[in-house]
Amino acid sequence: MSDHLEQSFVKQLKENQNIIHKICRLYTNGDDAHNDLFQEITIQLWKAFPKFRGDSKFSTWAYRVALNTAITLYRKNTRTVSTVTYEGQKHFLSQEDYNFEEEEQIKLMYQAVQQLNDIEKALVFLYLEDKDYTEISETLGISEVNARVKMNRIKGKLKKILNP
Amino acid sequence: MDELDLLKKAWKKDTHSFEQVTETDIYKMLHRKSSSIVKWILVISILEFAVWAAVSILFNTDDAIKSLHAESFSFYLKILTYVNYAVVVYFIYAFYQNYAKISTITSTKQLMQDILRARKTVQYYVWYNLIMILISTILGFVMAFIYNPKMSALKDKIAHEDSYITLSKTICVIVITCLLTVGVFWLFYRLLYGILLRKLQGNYKELKKIDL
Repeated sequence: MSDHLEQSFVKQLKENQNIIHKICRLYTNGDDAHNDLFQEITIQLWKAFPKFRGDSKFSTWAYRVALNTAITLYRKNTRTVSTVTYEGQKHFLSQEDYNFEEEEQIKLMYQAVQQLNDIEKALVFLYLEDKDYTEISETLGISEVNARVKMNRIKGKLKKILNP
Repeated sequence: MDELDLLKKAWKKDTHSFEQVTETDIYKMLHRKSSSIVKWILVISILEFAVWAAVSILFNTDDAIKSLHAESFSFYLKILTYVNYAVVVYFIYAFYQNYAKISTITSTKQLMQDILRARKTVQYYVWYNLIMILISTILGFVMAFIYNPKMSALKDKIAHEDSYITLSKTICVIVITCLLTVGVFWLFYRLLYGILLRKLQGNYKELKKIDL
């Protein structure tokens, strides 16, 4: 592949690397696994890059390849262990009183999301990235209605994890 | 407010918390080797094709037939061999087609289906070979029984004395040998692909469950 292509790829990937970092954060636990998955996604993106026509945004195109790599192609099992503590949950319960640190609460949210399965994480990721259900359903290959239903169930599940 | 929307707010602000990779890092990554599941499946599948091709070349039946003076069989065996080659070529073509179709830019579900299909083709190929081995083994026993002079003692025994016991013993030995061969292979593949495909199959099931 030509140097020009490689240059253009490296530049765009560098600018959009936070997408990949975010996926790695959801799907791995620890720096080593994070870097490992980041590298595999980079390789898969590069392999698919000749088919990227530029009629969509690099980031939109990268979602698909990156999620597919994390869910399907990445070999290592990186199921994360729950680390939510009871104190932490109590802390979260008191959110109505506004006497909590937002940062702590967000940390708990991340921990809760980490307990979801690979497919649920993908839905959450796309939701957090502000994708509409048409795009979510197309990316995962399920129907729009079912994507919506599943998303609502995930919200319920997260609520349960946080307020058991 | 929805818990997830709270996270969404933080999610957007969260772009500076990751250690940024440099362009040099990315260049380096491009030249490293992928360790994706598809690559492993491809490598293992090619090895399988190679192993079975080697098996059929190494076990040349012609000499065995000559030594047994069973030439009347050799015509049929030749036909079987050519049919076998045609089938193998078809399998390699089908596997290549399946593999070429696997693409990370399709939907997650489609990607999973494509990988599982590629895997299935190789599985059929392995089963085909196992069945061929079974047929050849049975054929070998039959030929040996008819043509091998060493077998006449056994034949005499079956014809005269306790015919049923000897016959059933012989059949038992044949059946157990066949079952053991197939069983060992089956276990080997279960283990190998069980490890490789467990995660993928689990996620595929999950996706299908959503779409019911």
